[in-house]
Amino acid sequence: MTNDILLQILAAFLFTIGMLVVLLRRDTIMILMGIELLLNAANLSLVAFSKSAGMIEGQIQVFFIITIAAAESAIGLSILVNLYRNFGSIKTQDATSLKG
Amino acid sequence: MSVAIVILCVLSAMLAITMLFARNPVTSAMCLLGVLIMTAGIYGLIGEHLVATIQLVVYAGAIMVLFVFSIMLLNLNNEDTDYLKHPGVFYSAILLGLVVFGFLMYGLNEHFMNHRMDYQHGQFTPDLIRELGGNSKVLAHALFSKFYVSFEVISLALLIAVVGAVVLAKRKFD
Repeated sequence: MTNDILLQILAAFLFTIGMLVVLLRRDTIMILMGIELLLNAANLSLVAFSKSAGMIEGQIQVFFIITIAAAESAIGLSILVNLYRNFGSIKTQDATSLKG
Repeated sequence: MSVAIVILCVLSAMLAITMLFARNPVTSAMCLLGVLIMTAGIYGLIGEHLVATIQLVVYAGAIMVLFVFSIMLLNLNNEDTDYLKHPGVFYSAILLGLVVFGFLMYGLNEHFMNHRMDYQHGQFTPDLIRELGGNSKVLAHALFSKFYVSFEVISLALLIAVVGAVVLAKRKFD
């Protein structure tokens, strides 16, 4: 068992946990944190594969993913502030005014 | 396989599980911060110094500060763990997670043990990277020569996101 296999197993585990956070938690801020965990797991997998294959495209891709993650969290958190202004809560079950 | 990487892996897995089950959002944010810092440590230990630095500065620095600041701004209390009151939802989500993890493990097994997914090996061996002047120099050279169009486009996307965040946070919708 080498470093590569260990890091890939860790990436798969973090991805699963992030998916469970998105599925189970009711706070929208927790859902955003779960998305960050998913992106982090994908980054780890990309860097480990790219390192073991002797390429640098994976690391370049990770830069772009981190930039997009920063933009996504800024937009997501400002949407969340608006959600709190309108509904007084950020739980997913309280924002139900869209249904007919 | 070095001992330090194993320790960091085990710690980050435990912190991720704690993040999933913590009731207070601040506890979850601190656990996520720990996971990100330990991932940066793993990057540093396998020799990816530039990615480790970017991870520490942008992810563990800027993004997590934004999260903790939002938690303070929204004045969040403890979340009632009502997903535990619906055992059907809880156990089916856990089952779905196990299925996804199993598929990922199957793919890794095919890749590492059976070598069924062959791929072309690149030219950047550790010796060549050392000869070219280190990890940061190689990555910066690629970023500003081969990938410069992507770099400019991504900076434009970041600018649009900043403007959008300011507009969304300032305007009062009714």
